[in-house]
Amino acid sequence: MKKYPLAMKTCLLAAGVLCALGTNAALAHITLETQEAAVGSTYKATLRVPHGCEGKATTAVRVQIPEGVIAVKPMPKPGWTLQTKKGKYEKSYQLYGETLTTGVKEVDWSGGNLLDEFYDEFVFRASLAADLPAGQMLYFPVVQECGDATDRWIEIPAAGQAEDALETPAPGVKLLPKK
Amino acid sequence: MNAAQPSSTIRLHTGPLAWLVAMLVAIAVLAMPGHAFAHAALVATDPADGVVLTQSPARFSLTFSEPVSPLVLTLVRPDGSQLTLASFRLNDQTIEIDNPETLKSGTHVLSWRVVSVDGHPVGGSALFSIGAPSAAPVAAEAVDWTLRAAIWAARLFFYAGLFLGVGGAFALAWLAEDRRRGQRFVAAALLFGLAGAPLSLGLQGLDGLGAPLARFAAPAVWKTALETSFVWTVLIGLIALGLALLSLAGPSGLRKLSASAALLGVGAALAASGHAIAAEPKWLTRPLVFLHGTAIAFWAGSLTPLGLALRQQPAEAKVFLRRFSRAILPVIVLLAASGIVLAIIQVQEPAALINTSYGRLLLLKLALLLFLFTLAAVNRWTLTAPAEAGDTEVQRRLARSIRIEVVIVLAVFGVAAGWRFTPPPRALAIAAAQPVTIHIHTLKAMADISITPGHAGEVAASMMIMTGDFGPLDAKAVTLVLSKPESGIEPIKRPATKPGDGTWRVDNLIIPIPGRWNARLDILVSDFDLVKIEAPIEIRSD
Repeated sequence: MKKYPLAMKTCLLAAGVLCALGTNAALAHITLETQEAAVGSTYKATLRVPHGCEGKATTAVRVQIPEGVIAVKPMPKPGWTLQTKKGKYEKSYQLYGETLTTGVKEVDWSGGNLLDEFYDEFVFRASLAADLPAGQMLYFPVVQECGDATDRWIEIPAAGQAEDALETPAPGVKLLPKK
Repeated sequence: MNAAQPSSTIRLHTGPLAWLVAMLVAIAVLAMPGHAFAHAALVATDPADGVVLTQSPARFSLTFSEPVSPLVLTLVRPDGSQLTLASFRLNDQTIEIDNPETLKSGTHVLSWRVVSVDGHPVGGSALFSIGAPSAAPVAAEAVDWTLRAAIWAARLFFYAGLFLGVGGAFALAWLAEDRRRGQRFVAAALLFGLAGAPLSLGLQGLDGLGAPLARFAAPAVWKTALETSFVWTVLIGLIALGLALLSLAGPSGLRKLSASAALLGVGAALAASGHAIAAEPKWLTRPLVFLHGTAIAFWAGSLTPLGLALRQQPAEAKVFLRRFSRAILPVIVLLAASGIVLAIIQVQEPAALINTSYGRLLLLKLALLLFLFTLAAVNRWTLTAPAEAGDTEVQRRLARSIRIEVVIVLAVFGVAAGWRFTPPPRALAIAAAQPVTIHIHTLKAMADISITPGHAGEVAASMMIMTGDFGPLDAKAVTLVLSKPESGIEPIKRPATKPGDGTWRVDNLIIPIPGRWNARLDILVSDFDLVKIEAPIEIRSD
């Protein structure tokens, strides 16, 4: 793991807090590694956590599964407690001949201690329903807890609003047409 | 002298008058306020607030949460000049306004004032820029001088009716020997009062809504007027005027009684509304205003009938003069004492006499009163005794002096009517401490933000958060962000706390400069749902 020098850390922290300069340049944000995925396929979501909340160590990462993402299977992480919350989908989906109406709606990794100077990834695998709108962004709101402090990467841009305008944007993936 | 024939010019029918009074009382009872209701809220504007356009828009539109009717639509250009927007269409909950001219580049303000179905006015403004933003023009509240002049004139007529008319009727009933002298003058004054009273009420409604004179007959205007406390002054005043007419033209048995009731009615009318009775301690100011008003009516009202009697029928006038001069001294003492105490309560400190418009008008009134009192003193102590004795030359001088007194009294009424436009220092202090409140209404959430006091400096903010359709919203956390773009000031971000009464609060907030700030609320509805709503808020300077 690379240790970031102090000056660079401060710079990045300032950049992340003051304004988002674009998902590639805003290195303090939690983002998804694979930024594009075809609908109707399996997607391996890798949440990259480059920083704690304003310097504090991350102790929990919670992600809310949006509608249309089904059959979610998170990857356990040593040193972290993995929990999932299940709920009803808004409609029923067909997957490998089975009809799915309920499934995982929230994934929680908690009890860990990821220092600000370290980097980690939180992974889960899911199926993107075929009727998700291709060409649009799909957002996964993530709450990052660092003890008492919380960073909420949950802002979803309104229609026509640039993602750069948000201070704490949710990680998103661009949906591509079905292959 | 034809004592047998009643004065044919003044035979008034009391029937229609009684109907008028009854109708007005009925209106007052029906319009009794006692309900609180939500007002219309701005949902969207086109152009949106703060947007930069490339060219001048052909039309503007304002969308509200319910159908509204516009009162004032103004466009303020970047140089501060104002343009009234007169061409508009109502489209359900939207007002579509045509833009009459091509706008130059710079920041413009679309300033609007509408009244919703429940009659409550709501105002606001939207900023937009053409080409590039410039410094936001200050839209000074344009004073409608025709409206002001009309309000002042109507007040003056009303005062003339109450003081000169009712007071004159009282003098004729109680002091005068021959009641015919001065009857015409008194009746004319009463008619002026009857005209001035409803006019004053309607104009009060116009002023309350900020509407132009042309909307005088609009029902919303009268509805607003009937909800103010001034309606009581007008109603009681009309009853007093009616009673005075009754004493003039009605049965002789009722004359003294109705005149006395009318005189007391004048005091009651003045004590029913206004700045003076709103001052603390109320148990003192209300009776003082009552006494002050009644005393003025007695004194001012007696002057013209007395003067006319002295000039035309000196012999009969002796009794009038004697009764008047015996009664007037305690009345003047009451008048002066009540006036002084009220002035002290309103002005609060001597410096305010020069610093505020209210104080300056008071000084003018005092100067006129000084003149009046001197004249009255001269009349009383040098002219009265010989006039009572029957010296006709002195009587004529006295009559002339009284004429001058009447003119000064009218000038004093004019100055007092001017107080309608100048709040007393006491009220100014209260106004400075008033909060500024804004209402933000979006589909997802709605908030009322109140900043107390509403001027720059140390303030506290209180917020009430609801869902977009007025339901309760139990947010997990609320953050208030105040920013002033182009000011070079970093946005002020403060988490709000819950004091436990259903509101959210931010204390120890310091707003460094006055002007147009942007207030944003970040409402955490659930762990994964953040709603941001914002609106501009005007912070006053001290």
